[in-house]
Amino acid sequence: MGERSERTTRVSRASTVLNEQLRDAREQSAASREILAALGRAGADPEAILDTILERAAHLCRAQAATLYIPEGDVFRLSRDTGKIPEEFRKLLLDQPLARNRSSTVGRAAEEMRTIQIPDVFNDAEYGRKDLQSLAGYRTLLSTPMILQNEVVGVLSMWRTNVKPFNPRECELLEEFAVQGAIVMRQDSLRRALTSKVDQLEALREVGDTVGSTLDLDEVLEQIVNNAVRLTKTDGGSIMEYDESTDSFHVRAAYGSSAELLKQLLATTIDRRTTLVGRAATARRPLEVPDLAETELDPHLEALFGDGWRSVLAVPILRGDRILGVLVIRRRSIGSFGPHVELLETFAGQSALAIVNARLFGELQTKTKELEIASHHKSEFLASMSHELRTPLNAVIGFSEVLLDRMFGEINERQDEYLRDIWNSGRHLLELLNEILDLSKVEAGQMVLEPTPFSVGSALDYCLAMVRERATLHAITVTVDVADGIDTIEADELRFKQVVLNLVTNAVKFTPDGGGVSVRASREGTDLIVTVADTGIGVPVEDQERIFESFQQGRRGAPKEEGTGLGLTLSRRIVWLWGGRIWLQSAPGNGSTFGFSIPGVLQADSEPASPAGEDLPAMLLVDDDRASLDLNSAYLDGLPARVLRAKDGIEALESVRRERPAAVVLEVGLPRLDGWQVLAELKADPATTAIPVVIATDVDDRSRGLSLGADAYLRKPIRREDLLEALRQVGAL
Amino acid sequence: MTARRVLVVEDNPLNLKLIRDVLQISGYDVIEAQSGEEGLRVAQQNPPDLVLMDLQLPGIDGTETLRRLRQGTLGPNVPVVAVTALAMAEDKEAAARAGFDGYLEKPISVRALPGQIEAFLAGRPSVQP
Repeated sequence: MGERSERTTRVSRASTVLNEQLRDAREQSAASREILAALGRAGADPEAILDTILERAAHLCRAQAATLYIPEGDVFRLSRDTGKIPEEFRKLLLDQPLARNRSSTVGRAAEEMRTIQIPDVFNDAEYGRKDLQSLAGYRTLLSTPMILQNEVVGVLSMWRTNVKPFNPRECELLEEFAVQGAIVMRQDSLRRALTSKVDQLEALREVGDTVGSTLDLDEVLEQIVNNAVRLTKTDGGSIMEYDESTDSFHVRAAYGSSAELLKQLLATTIDRRTTLVGRAATARRPLEVPDLAETELDPHLEALFGDGWRSVLAVPILRGDRILGVLVIRRRSIGSFGPHVELLETFAGQSALAIVNARLFGELQTKTKELEIASHHKSEFLASMSHELRTPLNAVIGFSEVLLDRMFGEINERQDEYLRDIWNSGRHLLELLNEILDLSKVEAGQMVLEPTPFSVGSALDYCLAMVRERATLHAITVTVDVADGIDTIEADELRFKQVVLNLVTNAVKFTPDGGGVSVRASREGTDLIVTVADTGIGVPVEDQERIFESFQQGRRGAPKEEGTGLGLTLSRRIVWLWGGRIWLQSAPGNGSTFGFSIPGVLQADSEPASPAGEDLPAMLLVDDDRASLDLNSAYLDGLPARVLRAKDGIEALESVRRERPAAVVLEVGLPRLDGWQVLAELKADPATTAIPVVIATDVDDRSRGLSLGADAYLRKPIRREDLLEALRQVGAL
Repeated sequence: MTARRVLVVEDNPLNLKLIRDVLQISGYDVIEAQSGEEGLRVAQQNPPDLVLMDLQLPGIDGTETLRRLRQGTLGPNVPVVAVTALAMAEDKEAAARAGFDGYLEKPISVRALPGQIEAFLAGRPSVQP
């Protein structure tokens, strides 16, 4: 072989090497282009790109395998690989991931933040993962860190199964791929962070909804554990509820746990002082065990370890100073829960809320039941007592009546007087019994109204007939006046008569000889108004509220008084039962006028309402919500005012023009014509501009109200004092 | 004309005595019983023209006593009037449903009682105020 041929061979070799290098460069640049193009595409699948990177790297560097490791706490887990890797290798890595230390090229690359090569693992004294090596059979290892903002976000690694170190160009190539991989990882981690944030918020909202909407504690807690496990990508968890009486915890909800494990957990006493769960609760902070194999196991952890669990986090569920329970999250692999703790603490907070809610509800239910039972007992007692007392009273009243009626012969004047005393006392006791029974029925919610059609005039006549004898005896004039158009109404006749009779009996009782009692029935819209006016001594203002309470006869101090002290209380309760109001207008020396209403029993009347309560100032309540009208009406109960109602803006304007009320209490949101328009019209009309308007609304726009001329502005919910104060301020009371 | 016979079933002896005395002085022949069972026996021996019956009785109550009375010798036209201290509308209804011809509320008015009995006997059930 000549010199030439030798040179030719050399040239040809050089040219072959050059050609190879050229081909490599071309492939490399093609791979880079491909990767960069994929990166630029919206919606590119980052996992696919990472797979491409691994595959190209292995191919271009002539490695048997390329792998990507992702840090998790202090260890690196295998994230992706080029395949062709023994399953046992993967399994072992899952169980014992690579440590961030010198025992592997991955650990070293991460620690030193540079490319690390082990030319032959058999000749590296520090190499510590011979267990892995024996499964994969590699000899030469190359690893390079993927670095973002000075942080290792992953490690790219390659191996060869023969001893053949990677040359500098191949090292460079891997480094270049690592840069590209890091970009993919960043994009992916941003996307993941966003998705997981959205997931977290969604889950928290879901849990919040459940906590707010269901009182089934088990359902809520199960949902919490479920979401907590899902969002932290862990494998299972449970909520342990704390039992103060035994100072220990028991499973209340679980997720990702086998029936076998649950059975075991249920049988395990999780003591507060000696378990991880207990210590977390006592310390009031999350505690974790990253590897159950390397810790002393309490009975709870022992059950978990025996079932194949490897790492556990316990987050206390606290409410103020109290321990409610512990949220336990676990994995089948080892590792810290570091980044998830904050989220899990939020879940623990939600659990606390759910537990507290459920307990309060439970207590409320128990209390309610107890009260119901107590109330039932009370009603039963009163009913039976009433019966037991009536039977002997029957004899007292009956026998005295027999003697008074001279059925068995004449009696003298003194005997007659004493018998009358016996008879009167008996009747009084009986009345008292009846009222106590009625009142207890109202209070127990057992009084049911039985509406039937009846004539108002006849019912009033009936009541007056009952007191006429006594009135005549004291020369008291009794008159009744039923306004035109009031005839038959549908209401509970018995209760109507009971209230009227109570009022007229009182009126006659407290009117001095020669005085007068007048009963009037009139209308207010569709409400029936009954007033009973007397010329008695009147009721001082300070007693006017008290007089409606049990056993308060005020200081009316009639000499012959004998009431039960329950009549007005009972009357008021009955009137409330049909949704009406009862009131008193009185001044000492000027007599008293008691009145009550039955709402909605009269036909709507287009005629101007006859002035009821005559000189009483009218308050017009305008609201489309019946409950608000009722409430505000009730607030005005007992005040010297008559209440008018309107349910929409048009009706309100008509009512104001017809009735000229002392004040208008106006909601803003109204059908037909809204409150702003009503206000504006009233203030624009010289005839109505002086009528004070109190806005009472849930609309928050005080400045608009005041600028339109409202005299006061109240936000719902409105308290009685607020309404009365406003009406006083605008001069309506 | 023979006096009409009224059976009074009432467990309280004082009330029984009161009703008996008032009815007797008004010219009725009064027979009495202090329980439902006794009422059934007495009614069998001396068929009454009218029965006044307390609703709350020891042993079988007024409603059951009425049922057995109607099954036995008591003619369908003999009025049976309930007497009770339970002044509730639903009790009145229950009494009507059980087949009583009328209802007197305790305390009975001794002044009104003879007139009320007369009205029931004449087939004009009085209306209890």
